[in-house]
Amino acid sequence: MLGELLDHYRVVSKVGEGGMGVVYRAQDEVLHRDVAIKVLSSRSVADKSAKEFLLEEARAASALSHPNVCTVHQVGEVRGEPYIVMEFIQGKPLSTLIGKDGLPVESVLRYGVQIAGALAHSHGRNTVHRDLKSSNVMVTPEGLVKVLDFGLARRIRIVDDAAQTIDSPEITGGTTNASSGGVTGTLPYMPPEVLRGEEADFRSDIWALGVVLYEAASGQLPFRGRTSFEVSSAIFHELPPPLPAWIPSGLWGIVQRCLSKEPQHRYQRASEVQAALEAVQSASVVGAAISSEPRGPLTIVHRGIRHLTVKDGDVLLLVGTMKGAFLLRASTTRSQWQVAGPYFHGHAVYSLAYDSRNDRHRLWASTSSFWGTFLRFSSDFGKTWTNPIDANVKFPEDCGASLKNIWQVCLGRDTEPDTMYCGVEPAALFMSHDAGLTWTLVRGLFNHPHRPRWKPGNGGLCLHTIVLDPANRERMYIAISAGGVYKTEDGGNTWEARNHGIQVAFQPDRNPEFGQCVHKMVLHPARPERLFLQHHWGLYRSDDFANSWKSISNGVPSDFGFAMITHPRDPDCVYILPIESDEFRCTPEGRLRVYRTRNAGASWEPLSRGLPQKGAYKTILRDAMVADSLEPAGIYFGTRSGELFASIDEGKNWKMILSGLPSIVCVKSVIVGEPSVARNSKSPVSPQRHAPPSRKRKAPARTKRGKH
Amino acid sequence: MRRLLEKGKRLPEQSEANTKVPVTFYIPGPLRVFCGGSQRVQIHSSPATLSEAFEDLYKQCPGIRDRLVNEEGQLRDHINIFVGNEDVRYTGDFSTPLRSGAEISILPAVSGG
Repeated sequence: MLGELLDHYRVVSKVGEGGMGVVYRAQDEVLHRDVAIKVLSSRSVADKSAKEFLLEEARAASALSHPNVCTVHQVGEVRGEPYIVMEFIQGKPLSTLIGKDGLPVESVLRYGVQIAGALAHSHGRNTVHRDLKSSNVMVTPEGLVKVLDFGLARRIRIVDDAAQTIDSPEITGGTTNASSGGVTGTLPYMPPEVLRGEEADFRSDIWALGVVLYEAASGQLPFRGRTSFEVSSAIFHELPPPLPAWIPSGLWGIVQRCLSKEPQHRYQRASEVQAALEAVQSASVVGAAISSEPRGPLTIVHRGIRHLTVKDGDVLLLVGTMKGAFLLRASTTRSQWQVAGPYFHGHAVYSLAYDSRNDRHRLWASTSSFWGTFLRFSSDFGKTWTNPIDANVKFPEDCGASLKNIWQVCLGRDTEPDTMYCGVEPAALFMSHDAGLTWTLVRGLFNHPHRPRWKPGNGGLCLHTIVLDPANRERMYIAISAGGVYKTEDGGNTWEARNHGIQVAFQPDRNPEFGQCVHKMVLHPARPERLFLQHHWGLYRSDDFANSWKSISNGVPSDFGFAMITHPRDPDCVYILPIESDEFRCTPEGRLRVYRTRNAGASWEPLSRGLPQKGAYKTILRDAMVADSLEPAGIYFGTRSGELFASIDEGKNWKMILSGLPSIVCVKSVIVGEPSVARNSKSPVSPQRHAPPSRKRKAPARTKRGKH
Repeated sequence: MRRLLEKGKRLPEQSEANTKVPVTFYIPGPLRVFCGGSQRVQIHSSPATLSEAFEDLYKQCPGIRDRLVNEEGQLRDHINIFVGNEDVRYTGDFSTPLRSGAEISILPAVSGG
């Protein structure tokens, strides 16, 4: 090829080779200028799709005319093979300019604005690049960026604002690292939707731009792994590690938004990214006592407190209070408790959860303060927590509602390990199918005709309890104060009030269809047809999937109360903490007593050994009691006056293990490393998990840092 | 806070509007993590209203939006915004007009429990 004349271009030297084509430098003997010529590589010559690719690239690029897009001059043919004549760019690929610590911020912004400008131009002509990466971006000695290789570009014909129709033949395989078979692009730059086999659109380019920006800023790819599987997994499930502290938070925010897993959460147009980068570029951030925080804004690092060191089999208590969260750790003897916190200093933490499904070790917390309500997680048992740029649980614009609080975080069944639910105020249910990264409102419940007539209880109009049928993925229950119990049998599409038999004392009609002020509802997985319920006044049981309820207030000092839990193994055993009345929401007679039934509510017995029996006017809220899964079971509860009590013999003897906390809102138990049992005493318990954990800890202790 | 508000007294007069002195945001401690740790962020785009200034601030520091306003675009209950010394709840909320060099303070209200 060297020295050959193609039309009036004399080939001078070979300058590079891509997955499909070879690029030569050539001299235009008419206009006396250098050009680049891309021809099919010898191994691609016989490949018909490769020829189509080359022509597709030429057609796509020739539709574009922009200073940051490599210009196509001509398409020719030699010996029956097509070639493209392009602008010759004297420069280096961006990938070779990025050192191990990345580029200076100014360069990242300067190049980023130009790349975004090139994409904005191409998107404006309905062309998606589909293979943007740092090696496809050339930078000239003057700092001018040229985006190359529209080899995977595809024209999109806009039909209307809402729909897009692909207007070109299917292209598979690729000139790059892409695997063939319908997925195109280069793996570390590919967005989740393209990996799932969906069509790339403008938002896919915006994801790739986010990867390039991240790479340029840090010298690292945001999603890494030793194998394609690990990289893909990171793309689907992981958040990008925070950029270094010297990166302006504005730039980090842009990168994070570009890298949102869901396309609708990204910038929708490259022009928006360009504008945002320009804003950061022109920003004059003054008085910059630059934070010494080594992490980006996505992460909260709690300093100045002693964190827990955790190993498999440890027992953790997650304690949410009105002013932050605390974590307690003990060995399986549960005799000594190490305390860490407060986390989220000053924020109300109404809900905590532990997700150990799919080899995760995530602690979840809902936090609420002046500055809004956010769901956060920690994968290192509290040392660092996510700090979402945008609120992750929020009502869609058309709802006319705004989130006040998240009352409940509930993990899906073990058979749906990426599903999570949360119950919020104002009363609504949200659902996530990507392990909590993105959330959607369950419209079937939000649009229920009863909703306008639900009334707030003392704590607000909240959906505070979510109960899943362990055996039936379509069936679940929720409880609202004051709306009552609702059940779905079709996975959340439709809901029916299920309050028959629950009497109300606060309105003339004692047996309304809905409007009950349910305080707590529990189900034991061994008896999924049976539910227990603590009402505003009244204790109830249903034996028919909540279709009807009957009173079980047999011998309790008061059937007013909030907290209610089941025993981890005995389906007939339920614990409650009676409160005197709705007027005087304290333990009756100044005596702190847990009540237990072991016959499904036929009778109740007080459990008070070790609990204060004089002058103990305590309030225990609905989520402030929990059982662990050990044998014998540990029972724990916290009070509004900040004491934490524990029994390690199923309630026979009690001990105060901590006092002086802020008002306790929720208490959850965790056995580290154990799925389901650990997170929720109501979850199915397999027989082997009944064994004392000390016998189970033969496996090497897992490190305290788990996988995300 | 007093120091910040006293600075507000030295605002340029209307006659200086054409000089396009940047608008300055004073960022409270809990939000500085979204602004590279800075207590002040300047906006150079000459916003005509508070709303326009905030749109620019959100572009520079994206985490701030959801911490200041709810899904319906309303300022959160216990957050106050001042332009100079004036609480914007009494000057038109986000429609409050801005002049060149305006100083905007974001402050948590005196409330709590």
